[in-house]
Amino acid sequence: MACGSLPFARNRMEHAAIFGWALLWFAFWGVVGGVITPQIYARKDLEISQASFGGAVIGAALGPFSLLPLWIATPKIDNRMIGVAGALVVGIFITAFALADPDNLCVANGEFVISQLANGIVIGIIYGLMALGLTLIFSILGVVSFAHGEFYMIGGMVTYFMTAEWLPGAPPIVGILASCVVTFSIGYIFERIFLRPLGSGQIERPGEYAILVTFGLAFFLQYFTQALASANPVKAQRFFPFPRTEIPLDSGSLLRTTPGNITILDTISIPNPRFTAALLALIMLAALLWFLYHTWTGKALRAVSQDRQAAAVAGINPNSMNTLAFSLGAMLAGLSGASLVQVFSWLPQVGIPAAARSFVIIVLGGMGSLPGAFLGGLVVGIVEAAGTGCVPDATRAAAYIPAYGMVILTLVLLLKPTGLFGREL
Amino acid sequence: MSRAVLYRVAGLVAVVILLALPLASAELDGLGPLVFNSYFMHLAITAFFYAILASSWSLLAGYAGQFSFGHMAFMAIGGYTTGLIGKFIRFTTAPTELCADIPLPGNWWLVILNARRVGTIDETCIDMAKTQTLPSGALIIFPPVWASIAMGLVMGATFGLLVGWLVLRLRSAYLALFTIGFSEILRAALSAEIPITEGQSGLELLPLFPSGINLFGQTFSDTSKIPPYYAMLLLFLLVMLLMTWLASSRFGLFIRAIREDEEAAAALGVNIVRYKVLVFVITSALAAAAGALQAHYIGIITPNILIILQMSLVIAMAVIGGLENIYAASVGALVITFALELLRTNIAIGPIRIDMSLWRLVFFGLLLMLTLRFQRNGLLFPLLERLNRAGIAEETVAMRDASN
Repeated sequence: MACGSLPFARNRMEHAAIFGWALLWFAFWGVVGGVITPQIYARKDLEISQASFGGAVIGAALGPFSLLPLWIATPKIDNRMIGVAGALVVGIFITAFALADPDNLCVANGEFVISQLANGIVIGIIYGLMALGLTLIFSILGVVSFAHGEFYMIGGMVTYFMTAEWLPGAPPIVGILASCVVTFSIGYIFERIFLRPLGSGQIERPGEYAILVTFGLAFFLQYFTQALASANPVKAQRFFPFPRTEIPLDSGSLLRTTPGNITILDTISIPNPRFTAALLALIMLAALLWFLYHTWTGKALRAVSQDRQAAAVAGINPNSMNTLAFSLGAMLAGLSGASLVQVFSWLPQVGIPAAARSFVIIVLGGMGSLPGAFLGGLVVGIVEAAGTGCVPDATRAAAYIPAYGMVILTLVLLLKPTGLFGREL
Repeated sequence: MSRAVLYRVAGLVAVVILLALPLASAELDGLGPLVFNSYFMHLAITAFFYAILASSWSLLAGYAGQFSFGHMAFMAIGGYTTGLIGKFIRFTTAPTELCADIPLPGNWWLVILNARRVGTIDETCIDMAKTQTLPSGALIIFPPVWASIAMGLVMGATFGLLVGWLVLRLRSAYLALFTIGFSEILRAALSAEIPITEGQSGLELLPLFPSGINLFGQTFSDTSKIPPYYAMLLLFLLVMLLMTWLASSRFGLFIRAIREDEEAAAALGVNIVRYKVLVFVITSALAAAAGALQAHYIGIITPNILIILQMSLVIAMAVIGGLENIYAASVGALVITFALELLRTNIAIGPIRIDMSLWRLVFFGLLLMLTLRFQRNGLLFPLLERLNRAGIAEETVAMRDASN
């Protein structure tokens, strides 16, 4: 989007021209590759499903030097080729940025880069957990829940109010469990009343109905929470303050912790709340995977997502799986909210950017793909961290955090609408 | 009297009432006991504004089945386009030499002003030019309001074309996903680019009729509510006429066919992408026009018009009125705009004070969900149905009698 590129356009870069020309190079050869390659492949009667996307990536990588051989030899474009070309594009992008702005912290300071990367991965894990809930709902109900951000918001709110207002001094785990129960129940009730008729044919054009009714739920939940909890920002205490340790005990340590921070190898510094949140998210993820792959119910869920009719024939009730998937998805959003309420300050409106980010992630990962959602979460986390850390104008960089995700979304929609692991549309 | 004639007569009566309504405003001393104060007139203008948005959204969502959550974004594009034109563009009779001057035929210059820095005392180039380079007696005029509103409409259509072309080739959920993000980004950009858009403090606009206007032999000042009332009503009626014509033409048939079954429509030769993009562009342009007009009427535009609440309200209006009927959607918008204002009063039950400014929104959220679930075609639908079926029983009896 034009708006998305604004932070790059006006900044204090030293040799902005280098970076500008690199972007122009990508855009020009990307378009040339994306448009001409499918025509050449079609003329030779070859498979063209990957040609547009592959051509664009290969064109952006080395321009005419890679496109001409491609057009002459017309090899089968496989994922490895696209992967190599994609890595080249990222490499050239980073080199161009480094040449253009040698004094930038992202270029000059290696420790900053590693730290920023680690923070991106840590926050990406939590984004991934939230998006996982959305993709779980999509894979089983075929519905994109527009109320996902509100479950995230409610998860955080319940955790905060439980540990800080209603039961002051309660251990955080009580708050987290309460948020699970609340979001699961809201998801359950909503699914039973409003989404159950989807499968029964009572409702014309179920897709449209689902979009609107979940959007209505989001509207309702947001103002319901605001009416109950007021619009003042709240923030929970950090859940588990670290003990003050150093491993090994002399200086130059491998691992040093203070109550608010953890430092690994003296370079990677991660604030405590983020670290705990990511750890929680990883535990949830492990539990979810165990549930999906090792219990009967989890296997039934996956069966329904693969083939509804066949699962029903095998004795699985698809309707109850719908309910379970929706409530579980809502609970996952609630959990990521519960683990992030100690990181960010919490308002009834926090759900909207979080939901928008989850949409980006599931489209990037491929709608309905569980590994895709997790990987997409990591990518978005890293891109946001890089965006906030590397864009020269810091205040602007912070204001445009949601825009980085949208740039990804636009590129994915242009180049590969099925996402990384998506099924064909 | 046949039903079609009945509807036309009812519509005509409604239009006449709306046209005559300002006669009862306090500015014109009211009609006997009926006096509408300027607050009521303001509500009426806002109601027309929302009616344009809700009915154009219902054309997009209810007729064509394309669910965009970015309707307010296009509205904001219209408003900000006209606002930025008013802020940055002037016409002069002599070159300023300090701003970017573009010569026009007839010894006029189009002048593009510079963006001011924030927080320092910093004159625009036109202010400096007035004292330094411009000869005395040189005219500096603002671009005409109607032209910048028209530019707002064009920008709305252009952005609609870009977004539509990008997303409408895909399944409908993608449009909803993308537009929600698009409007969030636009909001972030409008709030962050303070030197251009003034950010949260808002961009000020010229009033709709900067030097007042003479209507029916009476002069109205630029703060009068009556000329904006007629301007918004006129836009509303034009939009409704255009959409009625569209919905009843082949175009309307095509977009409804696409909504029902894309594959079948494509197989019968409807170019589905072209029609989807076209309806998206048209409705975006209409929203942008409404936004531009409303921005000039209010006199200031802030990024807060883009919060999701605004979009939710438009959706609630369209759905509660009746999503699959542009008239029902606009009636829903008119009624709900007034209802929202009436429900604003806080209630105190004993010691408990209920903040209605929030609970009314909760109520409308719930009503939106329940309407969708149990009365899909809107709360006006039973009424319309009854009107449509009125007289059918008598006709049947008459036919039976005749055959006996």
